Amino acid sequence: MDKLKLSTANLVILIAGVVMLISSFLAFNKFSTPSATIGSIHIGGTVSRNAWSSGYFLIATIPALIGIVMAAHVAVVAFASGVKLPDTVLGLTWNQIHLVLAFQATIMMVAFLIQSTSPLDKGIGLFGMLIAAIGLLVGAILRSREAPAVG
Amino acid sequence: MADRQSPTPAEITIMAAGAVMLVFSFLNFAGDTSAWGSHLFPIATLLPLYGLVMGLQIALTKFAGVKLPESVLGFTWEQVHLALGLMAGLMALGWLLTDYGDKQIGMWFEILGGIALVVGAVMLQRERNTGAIG
Repeated sequence: MDKLKLSTANLVILIAGVVMLISSFLAFNKFSTPSATIGSIHIGGTVSRNAWSSGYFLIATIPALIGIVMAAHVAVVAFASGVKLPDTVLGLTWNQIHLVLAFQATIMMVAFLIQSTSPLDKGIGLFGMLIAAIGLLVGAILRSREAPAVG
Repeated sequence: MADRQSPTPAEITIMAAGAVMLVFSFLNFAGDTSAWGSHLFPIATLLPLYGLVMGLQIALTKFAGVKLPESVLGFTWEQVHLALGLMAGLMALGWLLTDYGDKQIGMWFEILGGIALVVGAVMLQRERNTGAIG
C-alpha cells in the first residue's frame, strides 16, 4: 500500500480506532445529583466511570481493545513496510478478521446502549464508543469490497 | 462433512456448551439477576446467544437435515463457528476479569461455556480439515 495514500476504508478504520480509544477514557456511565456549597463544604455533583474503571474493565473495554487492534493493523500495513504479516490467521483473511472484530465491537456497544443503567446515566464515552464501533464496521465492510490488497 | 447421524466430539462439545449456556442463562448471573434480567440484558445475554446460534446450527444440520447455504457473508460455517467461538471466549474472559459484584453460578457456567465454545470451534477445524489449525 502506498505510504502516503490510505484507502478510504483503512482511513475510516484508523479514525474510528482513535475515536474509540479516546472515548473509552470518557464517561461511560455517570451519576449526577444537585450540588450545593455550604460554607467550605461542597456536596453533590457528578461521579463518572469510564470503560477502564473497576466494574467495567474488562467487559466494557473489549470494544476499545478491538478498535486498537484494527487500527494498529491498518497502521502497520500502511506505514511499516518492513513488517510482514501472514496473509491469513487461523484460516481467516485480514478482511474477514476486520469484519468479525467490527461486528463484535458493534454488537457489544449496541448491547451497552440498550442495557438499563438506572439510576446511572449513559455518558458521552459510551456514545462515542458506539459511533466508533459503527465506524469500524463501515470501514470493515468497505475494506472487504475493495480490490484485494496485501495484508 | 461428518456423518449425519453421529455427532463428532467437536459437534457434541458445541451443542452441549450451547445447551448448558442457555439453561444457566436463566440462573443468577450476578447478585440475584439472571443474564436476561434488568441491568444485565442484553450485554450478559450475548454469551448464551452465541452458544445458542452455534449449537443450533450443528443440531439443525446434523439431526433435522436442514440444508443451510454453504457460506454466510463470505464465511464458511466452520469459519462462522471459529469467529463466534473466539468472540465468545473473549467475552468469557471479559466477564471473568470484570469486577461485577458477586459472580453467581450463572456467570460461572457462561464463562465455562464460552471457553468450551472456543475449544469446540477449534476441534471442528481439525475434524473437518479446514486447514485453519495445524
